[in-house]
Amino acid sequence: MGKVIVITSGKGGVGKTTSTANIGTALALLGKTVVIIDADVGLRNLDVVMGLESRVVFTSMDVIEKKCDLEKALVKDRRVEDLMLLAASQRNRKDDIKPEQMQDICERLKVEYDFVLIDSPAGIEQGFHNAAAGAEEAIIITTPDVSAIRDADRIIGLLQNQDINPISLILNRLSPTLVKKGNMISKNDVLDILNIDLLGIVPEDEGVIASTNRGVPLVHNDGSPGAEAYMRIARRMTGQRVPIPEMREDNFFSNILNWFSRK
Amino acid sequence: MENAVVKLRGYKDGLHLIIRPKVSLIDIQNAIKELISGMNQPLSGTSVHIDMSTSPLTSDDLRNLETHLSDNYNLVVSGFNVLDENDESPILAAPAAHSIPQGLPADNQQDYGHAQIVRQTIRSGQTTSCLTGSVIIYGDVNPGGEVIASGDVIVLGALRGNAHAGAHGKLTSVIMAMELVPLQLQIGSYVNRPPLGQKPRGYPEIARVGAEDIIIVEEFIKF
Ligand SMILES: Nc1ncnc2c1ncn2[C@@H]1O[C@H](COP(=O)(O)OP(=O)(O)OP(=O)(O)O)[C@@H](O)[C@H]1O
Ligand SMILES: [Mg+2]
Repeated sequence: MGKVIVITSGKGGVGKTTSTANIGTALALLGKTVVIIDADVGLRNLDVVMGLESRVVFTSMDVIEKKCDLEKALVKDRRVEDLMLLAASQRNRKDDIKPEQMQDICERLKVEYDFVLIDSPAGIEQGFHNAAAGAEEAIIITTPDVSAIRDADRIIGLLQNQDINPISLILNRLSPTLVKKGNMISKNDVLDILNIDLLGIVPEDEGVIASTNRGVPLVHNDGSPGAEAYMRIARRMTGQRVPIPEMREDNFFSNILNWFSRK
Repeated sequence: MENAVVKLRGYKDGLHLIIRPKVSLIDIQNAIKELISGMNQPLSGTSVHIDMSTSPLTSDDLRNLETHLSDNYNLVVSGFNVLDENDESPILAAPAAHSIPQGLPADNQQDYGHAQIVRQTIRSGQTTSCLTGSVIIYGDVNPGGEVIASGDVIVLGALRGNAHAGAHGKLTSVIMAMELVPLQLQIGSYVNRPPLGQKPRGYPEIARVGAEDIIIVEEFIKF
């Protein structure tokens, strides 16, 4: 039986879709069977980030409306074995889907796949509730700024009320130079407030935008700091003990380099 | 009239519904019905404060009363004030000498009645309130989270959000936290906003209303 994990944030634009695409790809590269679900109905873009836009024929809405089988709606990734995408309908609105319907899809997928990752829309409205409905676990994405952290805190409270557990955190777009100058909230400040387990830290990486535009998730791009960060996150999710690089905020990159030379 | 089951009085801080001691919930509801149907002014939408003596009413009864008022008369209960039976009526008991803001009925033992213990962090968007005593949080109160008590607020973690102690006007109430870096503190109707970006001091602190009628914050040693 696989795990159903919702990837969510509260605040928009902090990296949910980027993280879903990269973690999904990384898990599949590690030999796991994975489905990534775009739950951002009406604004789908997980397929774009994955470079699968032209292959989407059916969406989760077609499955719900029984226009096609669940298996048939899954789009195979172009590069990695055992990675599937369930796209969102662009014609529909977020409240056209009911939580029970999402739940049903997740229940069926987790029988066949090791990981079912759900890319949630921003906000705390119906779309978020649908995305979380079928999930047992959650990954919260936040950037190190006050408003994103506040929204993450809000979301954690809501998820805890739904008995979603464990809830872990990815701190995205941490820029070591800004932390050093005292212009950015540090890792410890964020953890202090949110008080959940840290799954990983993804540094600010220009490669992310380039890879989004090419439709090739960053993890295919060996060696970039963002790719390495997502690979480590995926390893941790498979139960490997991968330390979070000890990054004293003042010399983040040199520490990352140290960490690489150790392996 | 003096012996009526319920009385409605307007005070500076709003309407008070004063309930005679030792009356059953049914009798209270009937009396309220009679009272309100006899009025020529619509009350719908206003908020009332309920003043009562220590009575046989359980907290379930109080909750029922609250829903009864909102369902039938669209009245919002802003709080309960449970007084010691031997006290005067709550309003008479309000001290005149001390400059209690808004003439709130104040200082009765019942505000310390009991403590509600919360074993979790209060996160953004969450509120915990206890209007019949104190609140103790075994965790943090995050920015955007809120704790309200008629007695004290004790946070065995970091207080980063809002706390309101003495919500019924008990100005001897205190707010205490292992790390006191709140957005806003309130005791009775006194408000204190610490400077933004304040760093934790590394020791527990306590906030209380000082002699100059402002909220002062100092290191907590012991009560
Ligand atoms: N680590 C990073 N370094 C640099 N840019 C990043 C990083 N993570 C995300 N971005 C950029 O931030 C933008 C938003 O990312 P993304 O679409 O993944 O966020 P989202 O949370 O899914 O947004 P939405 O709430 O709109 O669904 C994109 O342009 C992406 O390229
Ligand atoms: Mg997105």
